[in-house]
Amino acid sequence: MSVVSYGFRTGVSAFFEMATPDAEAVLPAYLQPIEVRHQRSVLAVTAFLFEDSDVGAYTELMFSVIVPPQVAKWGEHAKAGFYPYLAATSSAEARRQRGERFHFQYLDEDIDVRFVETGDRCQVKAWARGEPLVDFSVTQRTWEDTSHLLQGYSNCENHRYRSTVQISGRYTVHENEQGSMTLYPHELTAPLLAQEITPYPFREHWFKNGREVFHSLEQF
Amino acid sequence: MPDAPPSPPGAMEYDYTNFYFGAGEDAFALLAPFDDWWQDVKPAGYYLYELPLHTAPSTRVDVEDTKTHEIRKGLINFASYNYLGLSYRPEVKEAIKEAADIYGGGSSGSPILSGTTLLHRQFSDEIASWKGKEAALLFPTGYSANVGTIAGLMRSGDLIVADQYAHASIVDGMILSKATSRFFRHNNVGDLDKKLSRHEGKKLVIVEGVYSMDGDVPPLAGILEVCRKHNARLMIDEAHSAFVFGSTGRGVAEEQGLEDEVDIHLGTFSKSLGGQGGYVAGSSQLINYLRGFSRSRFFSCALSPVVVAGLRKALELSRNEPELRDKLWENVAFMQRTLSDLGVPTGDSTSQVIPIMVRDDARIFQMGEEIFREGVFINPVKYPAVGKHKSRFRMSISAAHTKEDLSEGAEIIARVLRRYAICP
Repeated sequence: MSVVSYGFRTGVSAFFEMATPDAEAVLPAYLQPIEVRHQRSVLAVTAFLFEDSDVGAYTELMFSVIVPPQVAKWGEHAKAGFYPYLAATSSAEARRQRGERFHFQYLDEDIDVRFVETGDRCQVKAWARGEPLVDFSVTQRTWEDTSHLLQGYSNCENHRYRSTVQISGRYTVHENEQGSMTLYPHELTAPLLAQEITPYPFREHWFKNGREVFHSLEQF
Repeated sequence: MPDAPPSPPGAMEYDYTNFYFGAGEDAFALLAPFDDWWQDVKPAGYYLYELPLHTAPSTRVDVEDTKTHEIRKGLINFASYNYLGLSYRPEVKEAIKEAADIYGGGSSGSPILSGTTLLHRQFSDEIASWKGKEAALLFPTGYSANVGTIAGLMRSGDLIVADQYAHASIVDGMILSKATSRFFRHNNVGDLDKKLSRHEGKKLVIVEGVYSMDGDVPPLAGILEVCRKHNARLMIDEAHSAFVFGSTGRGVAEEQGLEDEVDIHLGTFSKSLGGQGGYVAGSSQLINYLRGFSRSRFFSCALSPVVVAGLRKALELSRNEPELRDKLWENVAFMQRTLSDLGVPTGDSTSQVIPIMVRDDARIFQMGEEIFREGVFINPVKYPAVGKHKSRFRMSISAAHTKEDLSEGAEIIARVLRRYAICP
């Protein structure tokens, strides 16, 4: 697969603590969750507003478990890995394309995601068929330019895939526990509602005017 | 778009956590990437850790600058724990020398075999007496006291709930115990209540007397009320508060008038007594049980009798000289005022541990290097030891500091922070 690039206007990622047994139940046997503290793993709730992609503009909502990156050598060393296990987009074409390219699994219906910036806060609201899915928010600290190297993991049938992703743009991050999350009953969120997840993020990421670049997809 | 490789990451955007896990079949798979990263980041600031002191941890110290290979002399010391200035008192050194003449250097055995000397027995009795408890047990370090006490008491199927800022030794004790572990939001009694409400069976709550990165103290009355409601036992680690808080120095539990309500009292000798080791104090039944089940204690060599002799003298001095605590608190108040007047941001500290909150992960090492070269020895603390963008300098105040030490040190720190617009 050649390099695939998506330009985004806004990207929000909030990290919540989840019980490690719940994270382990989600992951395939070859992946282990990273624990932020003993018996507490990391649920990343991520939403992006893509404006520049080869399927046009669309929004995406993704729930992932954070996992260790596969180490190569310093210089190609990803900061973290993520295993998306619940995802949805506003565009059928986008999820067909990303499903084919990266083998991420998407909800088979359009959702609506809105980003509302008020003061130092970005509130993300997602709906499906007019019913709320999730509300979550992050707050800002200082903004800086950044470039994160990450790895995404996925499965298709009996194959394992690893993609290398670089996210660049304006960026703010902190651990001041000022964000929040409310989940609503839905087919997408049902597994989460049954789990013990903190209602506030311990880490809040917010990107603006950046680019998500998938550099490779390897089968391993 | 060409199929180009990703651009190399910035080394200082990485930290230890990025090298904790990794793939590969070889147990050494992480060594080379970590070493390559370390060669990049060490001269950029990580060298500021493990700088060798060439003097005692007094209020002025000579420290080796491992980047320039110079000895930086007479630095004002805000990095050492020596809260009462006891580690280098002549009486302490004399006691150590006398013990060395009698016992030699080490105890040469586990405390349950041959490692217990008369000094150990006397000192554990003196600690119990000082704490007003039936018995006490000595450990080789504060770390092993936490690990041995928690893992000695709690089992798989039990529940341990600790403050989210609990020290690593508490967390490691929780891991070793195999009990279910939960963490409540820092000093948040309501969240503790929630975390305890979902479990039947044995429960232990763990808090610290003074939180080592923030210098604040727990609301013990509220925590005890929740513990009683859920039939949970309460343990307090007074590593940074023993010998300095309370009218007789017995710690935050004494200060808050709740000594008898707390079930397990733990502490260290490396902070205010300026030595080494840890203790747990409580009922004789508790101590007797832990004597049999605290593996970190009886599978370690006992504290050196030389150290114990110094600790006995330091304890005696701390009990007989309450003016040391008065001087410490006077210094703390003076420094808080001085820093405030200079506009230096401090957190919510109410203790001798004062965080200088710079909240700038990218530049804290630059600031640290300048502060170090301009005359102050103080440790930078950044993620993962504290949260992202909660970076700070951890300042330890001692009773031995003079007002001149404190004023001059504060001026140097403020001068550097002004260059970074951290203070006005």
